[in-house]
Formats: sequence, structure tokens, C-alpha cells
Amino acid sequence: MDVIDQLGAMREGKLSRSAFNRSLLAMGITTALVPLLPRKALAAPEDQATFFTWGGYNTPELFEEYIAKHGEEPRYATYGSAEEAMNKLRSGFVPDVVHPCISDVPRWSGTGMFQPIDTSRLSNWPSMLPELWNRDYNVVGDEVWLAPFNWGQTSIAYRTDLFELQGEESWDMLWDERYSGRIGMLAGGGDAWWCAAIKAGVPFEQLDTDEAFEKISAVLRAQRPLVRVYTDDTTQTDTALAAGELVATMAWNSTVVWLAEAGNPVKFAQPKEGALTYVCGMMLLADAPKLDRAYDIIDSLISKSASVVNIGWGYGGVHRNSFDDFTDEQLAARTLSRNPAEIINAGHFGVPQTAEWEQRMTATWEQIKLGF
Amino acid sequence: MTFTGLSSRAPAHPGAVTRFLHRHEGWRGHLLLAPTLILMTVAILAPLGMTLIMSTWFVQGYDVIKSPGLGNYTAMVENPMFRVLIWRTLTIALTCTLITVFLVYPVAYYLAFHTGRHKAIWLLVITLPFWTSYLLRVFAWRVVLGHEGVINSGLMSLGFISEPISALLYSQTAVTIVLAHSWAAFAVVPIFVSLEKINRSYLEAAADLGDSPARRFWRITLPLSLPGIVAAFVMMFVPTMGEYITPIMVGGPDSMMIGNLVQTMFGPMNNWPAGAALAVVMMLTIALAGLVFVVLNKLVQR
Repeated sequence: MDVIDQLGAMREGKLSRSAFNRSLLAMGITTALVPLLPRKALAAPEDQATFFTWGGYNTPELFEEYIAKHGEEPRYATYGSAEEAMNKLRSGFVPDVVHPCISDVPRWSGTGMFQPIDTSRLSNWPSMLPELWNRDYNVVGDEVWLAPFNWGQTSIAYRTDLFELQGEESWDMLWDERYSGRIGMLAGGGDAWWCAAIKAGVPFEQLDTDEAFEKISAVLRAQRPLVRVYTDDTTQTDTALAAGELVATMAWNSTVVWLAEAGNPVKFAQPKEGALTYVCGMMLLADAPKLDRAYDIIDSLISKSASVVNIGWGYGGVHRNSFDDFTDEQLAARTLSRNPAEIINAGHFGVPQTAEWEQRMTATWEQIKLGF
Repeated sequence: MTFTGLSSRAPAHPGAVTRFLHRHEGWRGHLLLAPTLILMTVAILAPLGMTLIMSTWFVQGYDVIKSPGLGNYTAMVENPMFRVLIWRTLTIALTCTLITVFLVYPVAYYLAFHTGRHKAIWLLVITLPFWTSYLLRVFAWRVVLGHEGVINSGLMSLGFISEPISALLYSQTAVTIVLAHSWAAFAVVPIFVSLEKINRSYLEAAADLGDSPARRFWRITLPLSLPGIVAAFVMMFVPTMGEYITPIMVGGPDSMMIGNLVQTMFGPMNNWPAGAALAVVMMLTIALAGLVFVVLNKLVQR
């Protein structure tokens, strides 16, 4: 019984109901079986470990070593902010490797959902820049909770032709009333709240006080009427900045690299109060379903090739030799340095906070964004 | 299936079940409904109950404290944010529903009265834009409404404006426009069906008795299609009340809806109990609005 025949029968009104049902059944079975057909001669994707990361890092360029070893990319799952990731993990999602930032470590490791990383299993670890991971809360004997992958700054990307600078570059730029309705903000509290703390002059050591909450909230509330859009979708801010719809936005290093390469007059500000600096990297799930391959994911991400890709995008790499591929000008354009400590210590580095603080901060910040 | 299975096993003497079902029509109906009912219970009623229970808990740090209380609900009364957001959501949903129903009525009218044999093709053509993904359509609106978008650059090149209208995108206007477009197909169909059902001889009779086309429309067509209009209202109003992705993609800080707050609570705020309570309140709001529609429908049909 072929398809043409049936179509013909249907047109003439001769297709019996049972014949029709039979063909529907056949179609259903075929559809149900399609996923079982062999897709590739190589390992099925179910065999690969899962990397749970920020949207944008889910690309094969970073996994040269992993692909060389296993013939295929790892599986990916993505999120827009670390809190969103934690929330998904707590609701039962078990990937192998997650990508938070180092100041999240005490809070995250305290949940019992992670295991320390045995660095002796990572072939690229000896080339890792130690100043990135060497913090007392990150080290457990010979093991670390988080293996760094990227570092950099959260600062202001602005249009040099549209934004008329008054004096030095400063966080005040994002509070400039002349540009009301043309200012962009990152939506995640992990960036916005901390930068507002710098703007409000609250030292990170004193963040967990009612006074700090009041001061920072006041600053962010004052800014809200000026803000056109709060988003973690960098494509959205990048295109808006390119179009001149936004003249200044809170941003990560990559925004400027992409826009400058496209010929836009955009600069990554070095605010006089200091930028927010961070180190982010991989944490290993305690129940990682594919532990060996999870180590391969981490090893691949700290390899030289991945580091070079990362620096190309504008973020700091972690392999000590990866900077050799770039000139000083290229690094300066990205506000990076061969010596990460230089950049990281020049800015304000995140200080670990409690889960209660994080909860309170997020709740307050979300309300402020909604206008309350 | 059960019927043929049983009777083929014992063709001469129908089994007890078959006989029972033969005698009790009600049970036959229930049995036919059973798959749907089971699915409803498992997939809708049970989660609903869980939502209700969860809405009485609260969160401390990362931990959910499972001691019942009404804290989440009192917080909603005390905090003006919830009232403002619910009110805004109602306004947006109502506005775009009104606009769409108004715009879509002539389309449905044309479809019902003037397309003749090609009705199916016309219906297909009207639903054609809805074959693309919802997300893609919302995204496309960003291209249309954007700073350098079709409307702005068009108006600028025609010399009507010298600077792009920034209120087009990232505003309540944008959310309303996009929602009105996104759900239009859902409004066309109920109105079309009610117009289609109108007995044409009424219209002929009215014409014979000397009614002008306009009077005919006001006295016959419109009243008879009112149930369709009410249905279109419900079909559009309910889903737009729960919208979440449109405000995110084309809305600005001042156009976030209640759905966005629910998402934030389940997402970054990590406060599921508060999110559950808000979801319950939202459901009640929609139910209340639905009740208004039902009453309207009853009044109309009288």
C-alpha cells in the first residue's frame, strides 16, 4: 500500500476508515522510532558529559581536546544568570560540570551538591595561572572547588561619538540624566547590585548590612527611570549600542570587542571608582553521571586552545601561554593583561556572601527592576 | 477498543462488562472520557493541589520551610507591587483583546459571507502567519518596531520624523501590538464560526421587509454573532493574561507583566512558595474575569 495510492483513494472518497487508521498507526510508529535510528557511527550524545553554562559558551571551539578524544562535543545546557542555574540544579537537574563564579564557591559548595576537583587528573592544570584560583575558600588540600576558565571586568561600554564625557570615566555615566532612556543595564543581580555598590561607595566587606541594602537600593531606584532595558542578552545590548539606541550600557569585555571589530566607535570604560572584577570557572557536581568525561570537559576548557578562543572573544584566559598569541595592543583593547592580578586587584573583586544575603539581594533587585 | 476485544473473545454470549455497559449509558460516557479524565487528574489537578499547598510554605536561604502559613498572601496585600502588576496585566490584556476583536471582526465577516467556495483556502491564508514559531514572530516585531526598524526608518525617509520614535519598542505599546498580532488567529475562528451559523434567510427576510444593509447588520448579524465575540474575548484574554515572553522580548522596564514576576520568583529569586501563591492569585483573577465573560454571554443569549 503506497502513499500515492492512498492519497488517490482519499480524493475519490474510497479510503476506508480502517485503511486510514492503519496508515495513521504506521506513521505514528515510524515517528516514534526515528530517534532510535543510528545517527552517527560514533558514540551517541547520551554518552557525553553535560556542561551547564552561560549562553554563548556552548560552542565546539572551546572543546578541541574533548572532541579529539571523544569524537563529539559534550552536551550543553545554558542559563542567563548564576542564580537561575542554581535554581535549576536545586530542582533536580544533574549535569556534570557547572560554570559559576569564584565568589559563589562558599555558598555553592555548602549545598553539598558539588565535589572538589582533583587537579592531578587535569593535564593542563600545571599551566594554570595560580592567582586565579588560589583563594582560601576555594582550596581543599590538593583539590579545588572551582577551576577557573574566564576572568575579566564588568564595566561600562559606551559610544565615544554619542556619549559626551564629563571629566573622567566613572560609574556616574550610567546615572547620567542627559541620556535618560538611552542607558542599558545587565539584568542579573550578580553584576548590577555589585556595580551599584561601587557607585554608592559601599565596601564589599560591608554588603551584608541593612545600611548597605538601603544605600544600594536607593542608587538603583534612582537609576531606573533612565534605563531603557534590563537584559542579560548581550546580543540585545550589543545591537542597541551599535544602532545608537543606547549610548552606554553595563557590559562585559566581549561587547566592546565585537562592536569594535564591526567598526563601531565603542569603548570599555575604566571607571575611576574601579570596575567589578570576577573569575568564573567550572565546578564539578557531586553526582556527576559521567565523571571521567566531566574531567575531560574541564581539561579541555583550561587548555591553551580554549584560552585563546576566550581571549579572542574579549575575556581573560587561564592558560599561561595563551597570551603569547596576542599583541599588547590587542590585550589592551580588551582591557586584559598578561598578569591577571594587575586587572583583578585594580578593580573590586566579589566577596562571597551567604545564601540568605543572595536571596534578599535578588528579591530586592527584582522588585527595583519592576519599579518598586 | 475494549468492546471489540471483549466481544471477539466471546461472540455468542456478550461478556458481563459488555452487558453492563449496554445497560448503563452513563458509564459508557465515563469510560470514553476516562483517558482524558485521568490525564487531567494527573497532569492538572494534582499539580494544582501541589501549587496550593506550596503557596503556604516559605523560603529561608536555599531551603524551603514546609510549615503552612498565609505569609505569601499577606505579603501580596501589603506590597503595592503586586497590585500594580496585576492591574497593568489586566489593562494590557484587555486593551489588546479589544483591539484585536475589533480589527478581526471584519475579517471574520468577509470570511463568512463573501468567500463562497474558497472558504477553506481563505481560512488557511489567514492562519498562514501562525505557522511560524511564536518566538520567531515576536522576534520579528523587534525588527519592525526597533530603533532602526522598518517603521522608524520608513517614517524617517518619508520625512515625517527626524528622530526615531523610541517609544515603539521596549514599551507597553510594543507589548500590546505584539500580543494583538500574536493571538489574532484565535479571535478570528470563534467569530467566524458564529457568523457562519447565522441563518441567511433571516437576512433575506429583513431585506424583503425593507431594511437597509446597515440596519440588517445592527439588528441581525451583530446580535447573532455576539456569542462568537464573547468566545473570542475569552480565547484571547486568558492566554494574554499569562504572557511572559512578549514583555521580555519587546517590553521595557515598565511593561513587565505578572507572568514575568511569577517566572522571576521561580527563577532567579528562588522563591517557589511566593511564586506559587502569586500563580494562585493570578488564576483567581483570570477565573473572576472569566466569570464576567460567562455572565455577559448569558445576558447576550437572552
